[in-house]
Amino acid sequence: MKRSQIAAVLMAAAITLMTGCADKTERIDINNDEGAQVMGLDYRDFNQAAADAVQSMLKSGALDKKSGDRYVLAISRITNDTMQHIDTDQLIKKIRIELLRSGKVVVTTAVGIDGAEDKMAKEARKLREDAEFNQRTVQEEGQLIAPDMSLSGKIIQRNVKMDDGKQQVEYYFMLSLTEIKTGLAWWEGETVIGKRGSGKSVSW
Amino acid sequence: MRIYSLIFALLLIFGGCADNSSYVKVVDSSIDRDIDIEDIKERVREDGLKEVQVMGENDTDEYMLLRYRVVWQDKDGFDVPSISSSWRDFPVHKNSNFTINIIAPNKEAQKYQLFINRQGE
Repeated sequence: MKRSQIAAVLMAAAITLMTGCADKTERIDINNDEGAQVMGLDYRDFNQAAADAVQSMLKSGALDKKSGDRYVLAISRITNDTMQHIDTDQLIKKIRIELLRSGKVVVTTAVGIDGAEDKMAKEARKLREDAEFNQRTVQEEGQLIAPDMSLSGKIIQRNVKMDDGKQQVEYYFMLSLTEIKTGLAWWEGETVIGKRGSGKSVSW
Repeated sequence: MRIYSLIFALLLIFGGCADNSSYVKVVDSSIDRDIDIEDIKERVREDGLKEVQVMGENDTDEYMLLRYRVVWQDKDGFDVPSISSSWRDFPVHKNSNFTINIIAPNKEAQKYQLFINRQGE
């Protein structure tokens, strides 16, 4: 066998080995994920925390308006006090969706702690001055609905070094539902998720 | 005699029409003998949401981390989407009772199927 033929055979074998051993990308079944836990927060943790919060809120009766109508909820500051770069909407959006489905709450996107979440409600009102727009289709003054309640909270992380060298990471999801009129918190909830793993694991 | 026959027939008819589409099921056969479902309570709260409480017992000398999920349906049997349809962990201590208490995601959710499984199965 010539040298070039041997090289070709070796290369073919190497390619076969590499492609055979390559890890295939799998899609996660998010309803039944058997994947190993990670030290950081993943979607399963947010699911658990959101489900706990919504069940607790519904059970408490804090969202039961006497008239049977719905409360208008504004989303206040949700602080990420962990070492991870997470968007707190990963938690809050799930809660918002489930509360909206409950028929007890409607969330305003016209009021937010850092300005409106959807600025269009205000922006579209500037058309009042614009003669190009049919003024009958422009929103009248006094139509926006002010919030009755506010949802605020924080996610805290605490790292504990174990005696055996392992690391324990505790995550606290703390939420408060405040009645804006009185400033009283009608509901408060806390979900703790703890993880223990190698001290070499990085949880951020 | 005729009246008894009539009552019996009525019982059969109403028994046959009973809503049996709500249930609690231990999915994993390796634990269905260890876990007893002793009672299921249901009520409709003042706000119109259905509340279900499942009471069971762990008959073993072993702590178990189980999980459950609930699929909700409306009166016509159509699925009502809910965050509670994903698995949630719950601890079951050895030789102890446990309780699962859930509230329907909205007023339309009237039927439920609650599945209990071992964690990681």
